[in-house]
Amino acid sequence: MTIDGLIILDHTGRPIIQSNFASSPAYPLLHIDAVNDALAKSPAGAVDPVLYVSGPSGPSACCHVACNGLRFLCPVSGEVDPLFVFAFIQTFVDILRDYFGDLSAASIRENFDIVYQLLEEVIDDGYPLTTELNALRDIVLPPTFLKKVISVAGITGLSKATGHPFSSPIPWRKAGLRYNNNEIKFDVIEDLDAIVNKNGSVVTSTVWGKVQARSHLSGVPDLLMTFTNPQVLTDCSFHPCVRLQRWTRDKSLSFVPPDGAFVLMEYRYTPPNAALTASSQANIPLPIALKSSVTLTEGGGTLDLTLTSRMGIAMQSATVELFLGSGAQSANFMVSGGGSWNFDPKTLILRWTISPVPSSSSHTLRGSFTSSETVPRIGSALKATYEIQPHSYSGLKVDQLKVSGEQYKTYKGVRLRAGGSIEFRW
Amino acid sequence: MSKAGEDAKFFQRGKIEEFRKELQEAETKDKKFIKRKTALKKIVANITMGNDMSPLFPDVVQCLVTPSLEIKKMVYLFLVSYGRSRPNQVEYVIPAFLEASDCHDRNPLIRALAIRTMSYIPLQAVLEALVDPLRASLRDKDPYVRKTAAICVAKLFFHDAVLVERESFIDMLRDLLADANSTVVSNAVAALMEISERSDKISLKLNFTVANKLVMAMGECSEWGQIYILDSLLSFVPQTCQEAEQLADRIVIRLQHANSAVVLTSIKVLLFLMNYMDNKKVIEFLCRKMGPPLVTLLSSGPEVQYVALRNILLIIQRRPTVLRNDVKVFFCKYNDPIYVKLAKLEIMYRLAREENAKEVLAELQEYATEVDIDFVRKAVRSIGRLAIKVEPASDMAIQVLLELIDNKVSYVLQEAVIVIKDIFRRYPGKYEGILPKLCQNIDVLDEPEAKAAMIWVIGQYAFRIDNSEELLDDLLYSFLEESAEVQLSLLTASVKLFVYKSNSTRAKDLVHKVLKWATEEVDNPDLRDRGFMYWRLLAISPATAGEIVLAEKPPISTDTDRMERGALDQLLLHTGTLASIYHKNPETFIRNARGKALVDSPALNENSRRVLISLPDAYMPGPAPNIPPPPTPSTKPRSTRDTSPDSAGDVSNPASPAVGPPVPHDPYANLESVFGGAYDADVPRPMTDGPGRRGTVVDDEDLLF
Repeated sequence: MTIDGLIILDHTGRPIIQSNFASSPAYPLLHIDAVNDALAKSPAGAVDPVLYVSGPSGPSACCHVACNGLRFLCPVSGEVDPLFVFAFIQTFVDILRDYFGDLSAASIRENFDIVYQLLEEVIDDGYPLTTELNALRDIVLPPTFLKKVISVAGITGLSKATGHPFSSPIPWRKAGLRYNNNEIKFDVIEDLDAIVNKNGSVVTSTVWGKVQARSHLSGVPDLLMTFTNPQVLTDCSFHPCVRLQRWTRDKSLSFVPPDGAFVLMEYRYTPPNAALTASSQANIPLPIALKSSVTLTEGGGTLDLTLTSRMGIAMQSATVELFLGSGAQSANFMVSGGGSWNFDPKTLILRWTISPVPSSSSHTLRGSFTSSETVPRIGSALKATYEIQPHSYSGLKVDQLKVSGEQYKTYKGVRLRAGGSIEFRW
Repeated sequence: MSKAGEDAKFFQRGKIEEFRKELQEAETKDKKFIKRKTALKKIVANITMGNDMSPLFPDVVQCLVTPSLEIKKMVYLFLVSYGRSRPNQVEYVIPAFLEASDCHDRNPLIRALAIRTMSYIPLQAVLEALVDPLRASLRDKDPYVRKTAAICVAKLFFHDAVLVERESFIDMLRDLLADANSTVVSNAVAALMEISERSDKISLKLNFTVANKLVMAMGECSEWGQIYILDSLLSFVPQTCQEAEQLADRIVIRLQHANSAVVLTSIKVLLFLMNYMDNKKVIEFLCRKMGPPLVTLLSSGPEVQYVALRNILLIIQRRPTVLRNDVKVFFCKYNDPIYVKLAKLEIMYRLAREENAKEVLAELQEYATEVDIDFVRKAVRSIGRLAIKVEPASDMAIQVLLELIDNKVSYVLQEAVIVIKDIFRRYPGKYEGILPKLCQNIDVLDEPEAKAAMIWVIGQYAFRIDNSEELLDDLLYSFLEESAEVQLSLLTASVKLFVYKSNSTRAKDLVHKVLKWATEEVDNPDLRDRGFMYWRLLAISPATAGEIVLAEKPPISTDTDRMERGALDQLLLHTGTLASIYHKNPETFIRNARGKALVDSPALNENSRRVLISLPDAYMPGPAPNIPPPPTPSTKPRSTRDTSPDSAGDVSNPASPAVGPPVPHDPYANLESVFGGAYDADVPRPMTDGPGRRGTVVDDEDLLF
């Protein structure tokens, strides 16, 4: 279960960061070339994420993930779980985001020494080591803090960064935290993922939910969160801080939170009528409807789309996208009911954006496009995405949040947000 | 926040002398070490760009005495980068600095860093110098140092196994399994696993007490630690069903972890333990528990989805009750990346049953109109396979295929013809009514496989197709330019036609013409031999020839399209790993990898024991993966040509290299040739009781196909 090393490529495929590899220097180069070759061959960029790499020293695999215009590569030559590798890459990306705010080739180049220090800590001989942000911040100072320490107190980096690393008895929480205002906020975010058939019937739909938290609490608070309707939560997975036994017993979340932002739990919402059908799926009413009429002619086609909101409240935004085929040349559309459209000649995608979408409103997009193909092969589905706030499909309600172990007054808050990505086949 | 480009400017190609001067200047008047730090940063930046900074070795090493962690880290990085190429200098530096001072530093971070750095430099002198500090570190009072030391033992073992054994580090690692800190425990487990994977002598075997303790320690571990511990549990062989059940009971809760790798590794362990259970209720319960977390993995990014899907494909073959009712979850979205779509398609086919066949077919028909050609082809092929697998759905499937043919899209049509041929074979006498429709589209076919399939149909049903002579004559027009696959099928079809219509002069002329071509004009020995064979047969006894060529064919089914049970059990021990992505045992494609096999014990389930595959005693490495396997017909799995072995050898001989089946851009297709396919794609096969069907002959309550 070891990773051979980590490489970060910029958008042109050139390495900007490369961890130490035990094997020959040719090995990482081989993997960089393999990924770049594969990407060059696949115009859509859909390259098998576990790429087989054959080299002079034997076969190996390269797990790679694209992220913010960068590509993270992890060569592996042993019998390794690729999910382990992807989980590691994701963790490292999260760490970089936390350290540098935004993740880009520029921010990495700027802070390369910190990236190297981080690499030293998060991976040792291929074994992920310290990946808890709370513990990491103790050993590798984030850039802002580092600068402050150096400028204000002279070089005390050594004493400051070390102190007592890993002194906290709770791995995900720093010891000795102090805040003037103690607060913890929760965001319940639910995303609907659905496919709708030509005739308007829902083929499949799933709601994925998660509870994100931002905690600024002093000391070691012990929290207990209860829900009025925990039965809407299925297939839950939790942050390691959650006491699983307690959840199994009475469906309440008992935990000592990490400091800062974290994902407390993830779940799937199953509507109550699901139990009646054999499948674990049942359909959730969709917040929007999209009617389309598509006519393809020689060298082009016409579209007539109508989007209707079924919500009693306004949506922040809704976007509809359609791939107009590899030969698409130009587009000319009219919108009514508010909104705007554009055609990206690079991706060949027609995008129609409505923001905001008033409750129960109707919007249309009509027009035509031209194409160099005799029979344009356009995308077989329209992809609609939207955001509604405050809304929750499941109606999940937090009943109570009790803080024990600390005396201070805690400010608590819960926000609801719903999003969705629906494919309408035409 | 640092200003943009402030550090980026270090990435200029630096001059060695310049850096040296900077470092020397920094020795005086550098109270805050800022000068030194800046110089070192530049040097490190150059190392990462691949510029050789090794001439600076003596100067950089001087900085080791600087009491700054940041500076020390940069010097360590330098040492690791150039240590190997400068043995003499390193041998002087290491004992003096690292061993003497840093290994005894007050700061545990520095102590840990020192041994880590030393373990990265595989020079004998360094490794020898590492022994004493490493021993001390394994007993250090700080857990951070202990956990680092545990991994260092594995590294040291890699460089010098004898040294590790002599210094009895293995025993010390074993003692760490009882450490109070669970991260130390999990790192010790990881190190022991790695060592036992690389060693012939040492192998990690856990008994129930230790396994149980490890599982208890897991609760406090990081996700990585949990993965190491879970993985190590495969080294535990339950002696009773109770042991297996108890352990499984404690692991089930890990399925709720947020980390996808923890989830999948837990599933691997549960699948493993299920082999040692006999209580069906418990097994069922576990299967039910496994489904939802697998589905949850599909909400992650496409990379994770892909790995999950490949694993789900394996798991549902062994435990079909998992996800039995969840086929909808695997419906493809238009915007899914192609590798996700193809993996989903395979699972949809596996999960298709009479109850959901209608939905699945409607979906497949939808996919057949998409833009991506490979995906469309696979979708059409899946429709055909579904018709063969689920008998009650065959009417619907044929209807769908006919509608697709009406769309007149060339590659859809070709693919449809190929699968319809197999449907004819599977349900003789049921769908011949659609022959005229097929014959209308002959002209469109230009791919060898589709053409060969159509020719087979014409030959086989020559008596039902009124103008069969005419059709075949047209096709024969380009005989000499055709690929071997098409030529062979033309040859056999002509013979069949003649047998059916021996009175027709046109048929007679045709067969003459073809036999003459095959035996005189063609260089392909296979075609020539078959031509001679037919010729003699017809010359000696046309009646016998008829009996042979038109002999009743064994019906085909997709029964054999799944993996053999024993092999499946073996692969499932690798759930989540590369082996499960490529569906091959790792020893066949990974250096130093070992196969895993279930170990017999009194608790081993009867069904699992029956198909038990044991590893060879002396481990033999798999064949070099770059050498293609000898082309025996049985190792040519992806060819549908194998699926029509008429008794007289019809068009099924795959000997000719010129006719690769068109399976472009299948993400695993290229692996097939690299590894010499052990995993057969599901092409319909004749129903035979071959040796590969051990698992299905016996009563197999948990395989429900």
